[in-house]
Amino acid sequence: MSNFSFKGGLVLENPFPAKEIDLIRIPLPDRVILPMQQRIGEQAKPCVSVGDHVLTGQVIATIDDDRCAPVHASISGTVVAIDNQIMAHQSGIKALCVTIESDGEDEWMDNSVACTENYDFCTPDTIYNKIRASGIVGMGGAGFPTHTKVRFAEGCHTLIVNATECEPGIMCDDALMQAYPTKVIRGVEVLLHICGAERAIIAIEDDKKESIELLRKFCKNERITIESIPTKYTSGAEKILVKLLLGIEIPSGGYASDVGVLCQNVGTLVAIFDAVVENRPLISRVVTVTGSAVKEPKNFQVRLGASYDYVLGFADIDHGENNFRMAGMMMGVDLEGSNYSISKNTNCIFVNKVEEKTPAQECIRCGMCNTVCPVELLPQQLYWYSKSSNIEKALDYNLMDCIECGCCSYVCPSNIPLVDYFQFAKALNRQQAREKEQTDNARERFEFRELRLERNKKERGEMMEAKKKSLKEKMAKDKAQKEAIAAAQERVAAAKAARESENAG
Amino acid sequence: MQAKVMSTNQVMRHVIYALILGVGAQVYFFGLSVLVQITLAVITALAAEALVLRMRGMQIAPSLSDGSAALTAILLAIAVPSIAPWWIIVLGVLFAIVFGKQLFGGLGNNPFNPAMLGYAFLLISYPLQMTQWPSEFQGVLSIFELSGIDVLTGATNLDYAKTQLMLGESIGALTFESVSQMWINLGFLLGGVYLLLRRIIFWHIPLSLIIGLVLMSGILYFIDPDNFSSPVFHLINGATMLAAFFIATDPVSASTTPLGRLIYGFAIGVIIIVIRVFGGYPDAVAFAVLLMNITVPLIDYYTQPKVFGK
Repeated sequence: MSNFSFKGGLVLENPFPAKEIDLIRIPLPDRVILPMQQRIGEQAKPCVSVGDHVLTGQVIATIDDDRCAPVHASISGTVVAIDNQIMAHQSGIKALCVTIESDGEDEWMDNSVACTENYDFCTPDTIYNKIRASGIVGMGGAGFPTHTKVRFAEGCHTLIVNATECEPGIMCDDALMQAYPTKVIRGVEVLLHICGAERAIIAIEDDKKESIELLRKFCKNERITIESIPTKYTSGAEKILVKLLLGIEIPSGGYASDVGVLCQNVGTLVAIFDAVVENRPLISRVVTVTGSAVKEPKNFQVRLGASYDYVLGFADIDHGENNFRMAGMMMGVDLEGSNYSISKNTNCIFVNKVEEKTPAQECIRCGMCNTVCPVELLPQQLYWYSKSSNIEKALDYNLMDCIECGCCSYVCPSNIPLVDYFQFAKALNRQQAREKEQTDNARERFEFRELRLERNKKERGEMMEAKKKSLKEKMAKDKAQKEAIAAAQERVAAAKAARESENAG
Repeated sequence: MQAKVMSTNQVMRHVIYALILGVGAQVYFFGLSVLVQITLAVITALAAEALVLRMRGMQIAPSLSDGSAALTAILLAIAVPSIAPWWIIVLGVLFAIVFGKQLFGGLGNNPFNPAMLGYAFLLISYPLQMTQWPSEFQGVLSIFELSGIDVLTGATNLDYAKTQLMLGESIGALTFESVSQMWINLGFLLGGVYLLLRRIIFWHIPLSLIIGLVLMSGILYFIDPDNFSSPVFHLINGATMLAAFFIATDPVSASTTPLGRLIYGFAIGVIIIVIRVFGGYPDAVAFAVLLMNITVPLIDYYTQPKVFGK
């Protein structure tokens, strides 16, 4: 049943197909740079100091925020620096990193607790904590902590394993499935055990024949089905994938967990297997190196924190003037140079020959963009309002539902970088919302202060009134008392006088 | 949907290619003057565009090479009678490019179809020159007012039909107009099919325009066949096919949502008939398109497709 389809999207071939999809293990790097800041949430706090000796798999930073995961040393050696380094981000922003210099031993920390092979006997909570302690995040590129995503999806009915390889050109999932088909299946079983879903669907694009065959061969579990879906871009987007496989539309602004579905990337499942069964925290990942300047695209199993240059050294690259891009050709980010390190969500590095860019022309509203938009927006209208910073109108045209897949930019005959405009508009919207919140807060504070002053004044008035009243009462009482005393004195005096006159008489 | 088909410049170029058949038919029936009009129009358009861009302090070459000014000029030249004096087309194109397009900010920013704005300007200002079509094959002399004798001119078929029907007389057999109009419309129809196949235009506007036109004229014809022309007559006369495939489909000034395009095209079809039948002008494409251009922002806003998850 391979008639899964969805509106919009693009049929894109891999621009740089590889002859063979092998998983190549490269030697340990001499040094690794591990970032503390993750995709969202707070920065992890280093729990090692410069000069400390660390073992592979040892926790070097912890965090309480459930939107991030702890960080582990990916090689054994000495911590040589804890300082700010440039992140692989368009802005070239710097963030705190721990740098470890290898001792060449790759001596592992003994992490064996509980579980191992017989995870069936572990409670879901034990495994959950194991995943959490192993620093596992979504390996598809989003980098959201897996334990939190699993917790959100509590009570879900279906586990969807995203093995679609989100963008053309990236091959890391394919390489991983071909190298470790059993790990994938076992990883699914572990996750099924803890998330409570009745069934799991592994969705693979139909151009990955070997992976489909291998997984079908090794899958003996009746609760797991392997579906071959059409190779059409954005099928890997969570919302689209859920609709594609189950016919369920995730409500606008919602998540898969809202409709009882847990989506996990296939790389994440292998990481879960490694963590739960083999007691290995997340310290490596598969990275695809491809692009027009790469002679033969390759997939490397790389320790986290290895530098791009170190990894690229194992690929056959034309040493001309090259552009670097992290993640896919559609949604990735262009980078200045290659002075970065592999992080948990670095799924692909594109090295492209420098090409002259065709300048953007005016939008002629041809409407190609709305035919390819997988969430059925009108990008030409959004562009018009984003460009003029008319955020209110852009929101009317559902700006916030844009998944930034880049299909519209890709087909635009005028070469307009539409998604860049939408990202800008979204950022502007967030800023305006924040400013509005601040002014609202300020106004509220001001109004409350006014209210308080008013109330104080009123209360003081009431107090004065009460005081006056009580004073008056007291005076009245005093007067009455005085009068009573005077009357008594008079009576005494009268009695005394009467007695004296009696005596005299 | 497949990967990128063509660039904006290529889109414009292919629309111009698609006009070849219809223009060929015009040349066959009306003479080489048609080509002279087109040449004059294109030269004027490029010069006007270059001048305004220079005054706006913008780069000239990229805009001129996108082909949009040339396309506007060609469309207007096709719509203007081939024997009209040379200054008619020059004035019309100047108005279309300067007032219809550049003053709004150039390509992509014009709310009105520039060619139709130019046409409406000419029709209102020079009604005599704008309604005289040749009644037989003509040379190019009349354009430059060099011809010693008056050229043979006549009203268009639409005009003729209106007058005849009003007078209570029947429309004659296949006249020169009928044959020429039919072939010219066929030429533009084929060009339109080419655009559809190349996925340069979407089917919504041409189809709904034709449906609107046939429905409206069909209702009138059904009520009173003696006083109204048949839908077939309206389909093969005047600028119907040119409007359906080349004028109303101008993406910049047309509605851009799928449902919006259907409404937009349908309304243009209906208005064309209303003006042709009840209005004072022989043809109605320009006014119908301009009228609907105004409504586009409203149509687009209320016909947004259902967004995923809403």
